[in-house]
Amino acid sequence: MAKEKNKTDFVGVRLTKEQTKALSKLQKNSELSKTDVLLRGLEILSEYYALGLDRPPLNMELKKLEQEAIHHLNELKKIKQKEDAVKQLVQELKDVDQIIDEYNGEKSALIQILLKIQAKNSWLPKPALLWVSERLDIPMSQILNIATFYKAFSLEPRGKHLVRVCLGTACHVRGGPKILQAAEQFLGIKSGETTSDFKFTLESVNCLGCCALGPVMMVDEEYHGKLTPSKVGDILSDYQKDTKKVEEKIIAQ
Amino acid sequence: MEKLKTASDLEKLRKNLINKKNSKNTVVSICSGTGCQAYTSENVVKAFIEEIKKQKLENKVDVKRTGCHGFCEKGPVVVIYPKEICYLQVKPADVSEIVTQTLAQGKTVDRLLYTDKKTDKKIVTESEIPFYKNQKRLIFGNNRRIDPKDIDDYIALGGYKALTKALLEMKPTQVLDEVKNSNLRGRGGGGFPAGRKWETTRNASETPKYVIVNCDEGDPGAYMDRSLMEGNPHSVIEGFIIGAYAIGSNQGYIYIRQEYPLAVENTEQAIKQAREYGFLGKNILGSGFDFDITIHRGAGAFVSGESSALMSAVEGCVGEPRSKYIHTAISGVWNKPTCLNNVETWANVPFIINNGSKWFSDIGTKDSKGTKIFSLVGNVNNTGLVEVPMGITLREIIYDIGGGIPNGKKLKAVQTGGPSGGCIPENLLDLHVDFDELSKVGSMMGSGGMIVMDEDTCMVDVARYFVNFLADESCGKCIPCREGLRHMIQILDKITSGDATEKDIELLQELSEVVQMASLCALGQTAPNPILSTLKYFRNEYEAHLRGECPAKVCKPLITYYIDPKKCKACGLCLKNCPTNAITGQKKEPHVIHIEKCTKCGTCFDVCKFDAVVKKTGEKNKNKKEKTIVAG
Repeated sequence: MAKEKNKTDFVGVRLTKEQTKALSKLQKNSELSKTDVLLRGLEILSEYYALGLDRPPLNMELKKLEQEAIHHLNELKKIKQKEDAVKQLVQELKDVDQIIDEYNGEKSALIQILLKIQAKNSWLPKPALLWVSERLDIPMSQILNIATFYKAFSLEPRGKHLVRVCLGTACHVRGGPKILQAAEQFLGIKSGETTSDFKFTLESVNCLGCCALGPVMMVDEEYHGKLTPSKVGDILSDYQKDTKKVEEKIIAQ
Repeated sequence: MEKLKTASDLEKLRKNLINKKNSKNTVVSICSGTGCQAYTSENVVKAFIEEIKKQKLENKVDVKRTGCHGFCEKGPVVVIYPKEICYLQVKPADVSEIVTQTLAQGKTVDRLLYTDKKTDKKIVTESEIPFYKNQKRLIFGNNRRIDPKDIDDYIALGGYKALTKALLEMKPTQVLDEVKNSNLRGRGGGGFPAGRKWETTRNASETPKYVIVNCDEGDPGAYMDRSLMEGNPHSVIEGFIIGAYAIGSNQGYIYIRQEYPLAVENTEQAIKQAREYGFLGKNILGSGFDFDITIHRGAGAFVSGESSALMSAVEGCVGEPRSKYIHTAISGVWNKPTCLNNVETWANVPFIINNGSKWFSDIGTKDSKGTKIFSLVGNVNNTGLVEVPMGITLREIIYDIGGGIPNGKKLKAVQTGGPSGGCIPENLLDLHVDFDELSKVGSMMGSGGMIVMDEDTCMVDVARYFVNFLADESCGKCIPCREGLRHMIQILDKITSGDATEKDIELLQELSEVVQMASLCALGQTAPNPILSTLKYFRNEYEAHLRGECPAKVCKPLITYYIDPKKCKACGLCLKNCPTNAITGQKKEPHVIHIEKCTKCGTCFDVCKFDAVVKKTGEKNKNKKEKTIVAG
């Protein structure tokens, strides 16, 4: 009923309140009668229909175009991403090239080359290994043999921080296993694993060579000596905060 | 830097350097070895530089970062020359006091000096501290006076004098004879006479010949090679060049363990500087002898320290040993004659050339000459690196130098020779330490790790620890080592969980003998040593485990934790810290550990301030017996 009230009859055409308002405005400006304006309007409308533009309506057409544009944009983004990935890969392989050139492409320098790749990426990505195999003319099987034999190499991505708990003899008799236990508890992973956010990789090692400070834990390149299980959490949480800072820096760049 | 072309060039340079040094009076030398760096010694260095600037003493005082002083227990160590005032455990906050008191006014800061525990007296000079006083610091002595990154420091102290003497005044064979006459034995573990090894390589027909420094110090508990390579790399390089000259090699490799980044850094720098002065390269000091060095970094494999495995790694292959029916001295790297010696062995050479073989062979015992650096670690008061003449007793090392066992505990055993060595019991402490004496009692010199174990150490657990380590590091090439060690662990696991019988010990002994005889390389051949030596001296502990008791209360399956209700003050500390919520208790009521939830992590034992948490052993078998009685 309320809707009915808003509408007025005009020369047999039903108009809403707003339409009536608009009509009065047009009529005022054009100094024509309301009926004239309305009839003129209907005339234009019929002309428009005669043109056959009614189907599909214009805004739908526009939406379709917009969707197409978005689709193309996404495709472009994907292509850009792929391009970046390829660029990155090329850069990585260039880095590998540089490392190989440092050793004049000598086959005997294989372990040294792998060590440098490992230091750069914190692990050995497969494309890099394939490229080393190609450049040095050493079969992939031999490279994998070395990469799995030595403890310094990892064939899986590792966390930003490498936590190494020493279980050498001197640390063992001074409570090293308890330090490892505390680190495992704090990080929620076992020795040899990486946290799901790739912040930490935890490892136990057989001697870090600063036995007088036992028990010792090494985080990245820093040594932490004379530890107690309760100190472990404090040290690691410092690195956790640091990671945030590092992330902020990367985002800022 | 200008290349030195003759011996007189070097002497001129040395004179200039000494004169330059004399113009400045005081030197503050701060230990920057890996140990002290872990105690943030770098902050102490920075604080000194700043404070000296602040007090306008730059023209009178030099600050120097040196290699490891050895007294790692009390780091960071600061020594002020020429008075040799030694400050221990220095923190950045102490620096301004030291500068104001000692450097500006010449007074000592007593609270930072060493206190003799027996007399309660303060000791000012470094060499009077018992830890240093009872040592004979030959190879290791210059570490504290040298900035390892500056070749001039080494030259000013007489460095490369032996090189000029060997290259310009002696023939290669004369050098070789000198080393042979000195009876220098390899410091890496085996104790093979270095001179004979050199001679074999020299006389081998194939060319070219190679020489190698083995700095793949994998023994857990040993770090003297690291400290030497980090703290005084030129002494090793000098000995290395002299050796190469005697052997007739023009290419050398230094193999450094992956875990030692600072050693790599300092050695790289040292090689660069030695090249710039002309100690390496073509026509060294105008003698016509060419020699150069390449660094090869290890990648983390214990077995790669074995000579044939190391050579395989240098070739870029997997570091696995091979059978040595032909010695590596004849067929080593790329099947060419290769002489490999340990870091410490090479570092001895300049001393022998400078002072003569007679002087050298006057130090030590009949068949073991010179000094040996040990890393004295574990349950001992003064942990650190000690250099002593061969023939000193274990008691002197542990009590006079090491200051005894901490916390009033009793000594149980000393483990020497790394994982392949053995455990020496307390009653053999008066043993004279040299290559042969140690072998006689079932241990070995090894590279010089000396791990002191107190009464809280379980010897079966120690044996299991070593065998576990070796099984993990076994390359798997030969079956006795790979499979034998695996089964030895299984038996030891059975013993440490109280499920073994007398027969298992017999089997363990038999298996040990087989592995010893049949393994391919020294890793397997010596792997049973920890078991055999503990079986020999601590058989009672093995037998206790058969009864379900661990006398030292270490082996988890054989102990239970329990709270003494009389001692418990219900402070709630253990309850809060227990990771598995196995402890319950109300305020003012003694707490209780629920055994079914307890993982025996020992946290409650560590945190309790009233000694109310007690470890018990032997409960397991009691339960067993009770059960059988019930079942019966």
